[in-house]
Amino acid sequence: MENVYQDQVYQFKGLWDVPSICGLKIIKKLKNTIVIATDLFDENPGTSITEWNTKLAKDICDKNQIDYKQLIYIEHTPDKKTKLSFNHESFFKVNFEIRDDKFVNPQWSEITKDEVNNLMNE
Amino acid sequence: MKFQLIFPKWNKLPGQTTFNLPPHGAVVFAATIPDYVDVEFIDENLEEMRYDDSVDFVGISMLLTTQIKRGWAIADEYRKRGKKVIFGGISTMLHAEETMLHADSVFLGEAEGHIEQVFADFRNNQLKPVYNHMNDLPPIEIVGPARRSVLKRDLYYHKGVQMVDLFHASRGCKYSCYPCAVSYLGGRNFRPRPIHRVVEELETIENNRLFIVDNSLAQDTQWEKDLFKAMIPMKKKWCSHTIEDKHEVLDLAAQAGAWYVYQAVFDTSDYIKERVKRYHEYGIGVEGTILLGLDDQTEDDIKRLIDFLLEIDLDLAEFTVLAPFPHTKAYTDLVKQNRIFDKDWDHYNAGQVVYHPKHMSAERLQELYQYAWDTFYKDETQEEKMFKLLKKVVSREIEDGTFKKRRQDLSGISFGKQVKRNITS
Repeated sequence: MENVYQDQVYQFKGLWDVPSICGLKIIKKLKNTIVIATDLFDENPGTSITEWNTKLAKDICDKNQIDYKQLIYIEHTPDKKTKLSFNHESFFKVNFEIRDDKFVNPQWSEITKDEVNNLMNE
Repeated sequence: MKFQLIFPKWNKLPGQTTFNLPPHGAVVFAATIPDYVDVEFIDENLEEMRYDDSVDFVGISMLLTTQIKRGWAIADEYRKRGKKVIFGGISTMLHAEETMLHADSVFLGEAEGHIEQVFADFRNNQLKPVYNHMNDLPPIEIVGPARRSVLKRDLYYHKGVQMVDLFHASRGCKYSCYPCAVSYLGGRNFRPRPIHRVVEELETIENNRLFIVDNSLAQDTQWEKDLFKAMIPMKKKWCSHTIEDKHEVLDLAAQAGAWYVYQAVFDTSDYIKERVKRYHEYGIGVEGTILLGLDDQTEDDIKRLIDFLLEIDLDLAEFTVLAPFPHTKAYTDLVKQNRIFDKDWDHYNAGQVVYHPKHMSAERLQELYQYAWDTFYKDETQEEKMFKLLKKVVSREIEDGTFKKRRQDLSGISFGKQVKRNITS
């Protein structure tokens, strides 16, 4: 099934330089840029997007000429197709502070799929 | 050169039967140390620390998150005395950045093939702050046998009965379970050891009773069957985590000496009930491992689960509350949701609630954890149930001629200390 929240598999060096991957979608808008990073769970041999998000978000911004101040960063965990609720699909918007050209102090707020779709289609 | 290898103590969970098993990670690591090094091992759970011994280099082997603060304190003491300290082991990998603050060096990854260099660097006064081998796992063929000769054997007896020896037949895990960090620690691929290497190591272990500590043996049916076939002539008796419940696997496991297995019980389904029944049909005992506090569980669910455990005839049950260890999905989920309220690693013992559960208060989950232990062991204590399992293995050992009598010289000693007898006149 097509994943509308992912256009590419993004490779990055995670914690302790372990090769890691995530799904990535970038939507450039007039006033901001939406970045959706998707956790690839078992396919990812390395660090999770959440553990590495301050470095991952900056890395994605730097490689794609995204202005840090215009970034809307979303972490997506797809449904793992189990009956366990903690494996259901979720979206978290992450706000970072920017200090000395680094992303620090991530703050997560859960948002609904409809809210993500609205952001994408605005 | 003298190297002192320390296994720090930790606080045991109150109210539970405590056994001190010979550590595994430390003896696996010890096997990789060059021959010119004289290794002395101290298990602080059983011995006092001796900071003023004449040693050249100190290693701290850390298994549990509840050991790390003690490990740091030990390192601080040695470093005050001018000794260099290196950390390694599972919880060093889980808590590497914090541990670096207390270490001259941390070793991350699996030791085989890398430790010669560490000691060469130490001798040349060029010890590196980090030896990062997280992405450089050794070929599984070169692993083992562990160097169990560093253990002070007499300490691992309870009233003359020797504790099981720990042993591993594989590394890594293809599963990525919610509360588990094994895939971060040992890679996401299951790496079974070649059977001849496993046999070679088993032949070095005098102890007839083993705990196969692999995360799950149920990851490659053919290898699992080959392993059990190879173990049959050795007549060992062993417990392990999950094995497959296919009849041909269980049959071979039973012949290979399967004593009891740990089985996660996460719901009240017929699947679990049947599985436990199948193990029992082959004479294999079952210790249920029950994780409490997942987001799916309400108070009623937990109570129903406990009732179910009493119905399905488990031999033992071990209850834990979710401990969100770093580098697990459980941890990242709870961090994102800002639900972790206690960040004292000493409390991450799987018996203490450190986060806000979804369907109840932390206090209520703590009460239900206690309720689970009390209810399951209401009619027969944990020690009584353990003794029943022990009797089963003794019968099998007597049948196949492998039974060893308890050591009379240690009959009044438990883990190196005299047993206190409560004799009233």
